[in-house]
Amino acid sequence: MLAIDVKDLRKQFKVQKNREGLSGALKDLFKREYNEVRAVKDISFQIPQGEICGYIGENGAGKSTTIKMLTGILVPTSGDIRVNGYIPYKDREKFVGNIGVVFGQRSQLWWDIGVIESFRLLRKVYGVSEHDFRRRLDQLVERLDLGDLLNRPVRKLSLGQRMRCELVASLLHNPAILFLDEPTIGLDIVVKTAIREFLQELNREEGTTILLTTHDLQDIEALCSRVIMLDDGRIIYDGGLDELKNRWSRGREIQFQFTSHTPLAKLEQLTAGLGVTWKQESDLNATMWLPHTTNVSDALSIVTGGTAIRDIKIIETNTDEIVREIYRSGSASASAAATLLREEEPALR
Amino acid sequence: MKYAVLLWEYIKNYAKTRLTYRADFWIEVLSDLMFQGMNLFFILIVFQHTPSLGGWTEAEVVFVYGFFMIPYGLFTTFFNMWNFSERYIVKGEMDRILTRPAHNLFQVLLENVDPPSLIGSAVGAIIMAICWNDLGLAFHAYDLLMLLLFVIGAVLVYGGIYTALSALSFFSDAPTGIVPLIYNIQNYGRYPVNIYNKTIRFILTWVLPFAFVGVIPASYFLEKKSDDISQLALLTPVVGIVFFILGLSLWNYGVKRYRGAGS
Repeated sequence: MLAIDVKDLRKQFKVQKNREGLSGALKDLFKREYNEVRAVKDISFQIPQGEICGYIGENGAGKSTTIKMLTGILVPTSGDIRVNGYIPYKDREKFVGNIGVVFGQRSQLWWDIGVIESFRLLRKVYGVSEHDFRRRLDQLVERLDLGDLLNRPVRKLSLGQRMRCELVASLLHNPAILFLDEPTIGLDIVVKTAIREFLQELNREEGTTILLTTHDLQDIEALCSRVIMLDDGRIIYDGGLDELKNRWSRGREIQFQFTSHTPLAKLEQLTAGLGVTWKQESDLNATMWLPHTTNVSDALSIVTGGTAIRDIKIIETNTDEIVREIYRSGSASASAAATLLREEEPALR
Repeated sequence: MKYAVLLWEYIKNYAKTRLTYRADFWIEVLSDLMFQGMNLFFILIVFQHTPSLGGWTEAEVVFVYGFFMIPYGLFTTFFNMWNFSERYIVKGEMDRILTRPAHNLFQVLLENVDPPSLIGSAVGAIIMAICWNDLGLAFHAYDLLMLLLFVIGAVLVYGGIYTALSALSFFSDAPTGIVPLIYNIQNYGRYPVNIYNKTIRFILTWVLPFAFVGVIPASYFLEKKSDDISQLALLTPVVGIVFFILGLSLWNYGVKRYRGAGS
């Protein structure tokens, strides 16, 4: 069964145009002009139950807007959404009883009261029985190592402690789907790792479907079997992470350190026909760019055969770089992805 | 039933947070009472200069004021939404409210519940009782029932109007000017409406029916006046329900327009 089914989802905001200067402000006072800004542009995707899906994109790409529509906070301009079989904004109160939501930037807990008091209040709001609540809480507290934090007021917690409490709060009612909006923002590496492990375990043991947005691609690498990438309100990629890397990383980089001065011309002459590009860094150092079409061993054997080498380093482009590259090229890669997808479709059938 | 449980839980939590700041608590109670005291003082001063106000004696006007304090205290306890726009719309806390399985207006009201204002209601009841005695009014058991009905109606009138006003925040980013304006108008409802001109009287009775929070229901218990507004008293619960439904509908419509804040 599908946990999330989205079809041609669109969200449009009316934004007031502010004209410049005092005269502009006066004009605005009497006659306002509005711009229609489309934050989410007819996107469609489906997430089956039990999947962990990463939702990435630049700031302002429409990630949060999508999450807010999926959780029933915003009403879409057009399109269909089904989450857990519900239309989120229509049957909101029934629907939200079976989802968990964590917004990294905003607290779900009551600021002044002890964490445990917040949990108790949530138990009543969600109508969880005392017995289930105790069992669930003990389990979560143990897994996230919260023991002695429970009696402290939220305002006295560190960000990492608070974040772990937020997770517990969103899971007390054992939701089928968990929405996380930047859950690791601003956290140190230890807490990040702890949260990632926790989410993985949760998904494995209870089959919780997880949709998370993040700017930290390590979150994605650690957790997600699938990535949806958004740019300017459109989906520009939807698939596995490995595939993303293969598709967009243009090649590998090999750094050479030579024992003696090796001129660029000589290197270029050696590797002519392989389609590589060279960059000289100093007398002894040079970097070679290798497209995926060429074998690393072929290139290496040619270079090592013609020069004296002290050291070699092969650098695989990491996800950060790939994603940065995609963000930067923006719409260009969108059309590239579109062509790629179109080419693939017949093969799939 | 669920909502009654939640109300109790939220009040307990209120107690836990606020009672830790004891000074703050008492200052709030004190300033509340002082504000009401000032209004009462104003009435007394007016009656130093005239024996009656549009046919109403001092004790009657004070009686009306005492009645007014009861629904007003209840209203400020349960509809403490002054910072709604700032906190829930601008800062986007409405997001959190909307992801919880209880009616969103109810959650907002509960989070801001302010029980100390109930002390004002108690004082109002005492003032009313004293005036009741001074005026030598007959007391029947069903008067209590009527009082309860009127108080509920009056709270709903207030609640409906302020729910509608708060709902405006869903449409405009800063509807800051309108709330103080209405707040000023509401004060007129505490005095006999026949002292105002026709337009204001009409507005206070039917458009922004603040007269139904003070003088109209209170007059039910008093001697009949020439214009006999007490006839309208029985309408109080009806007006309350109508205005509350209007306010709630505007609210529910507004929630659909909620745009969230920031990321």
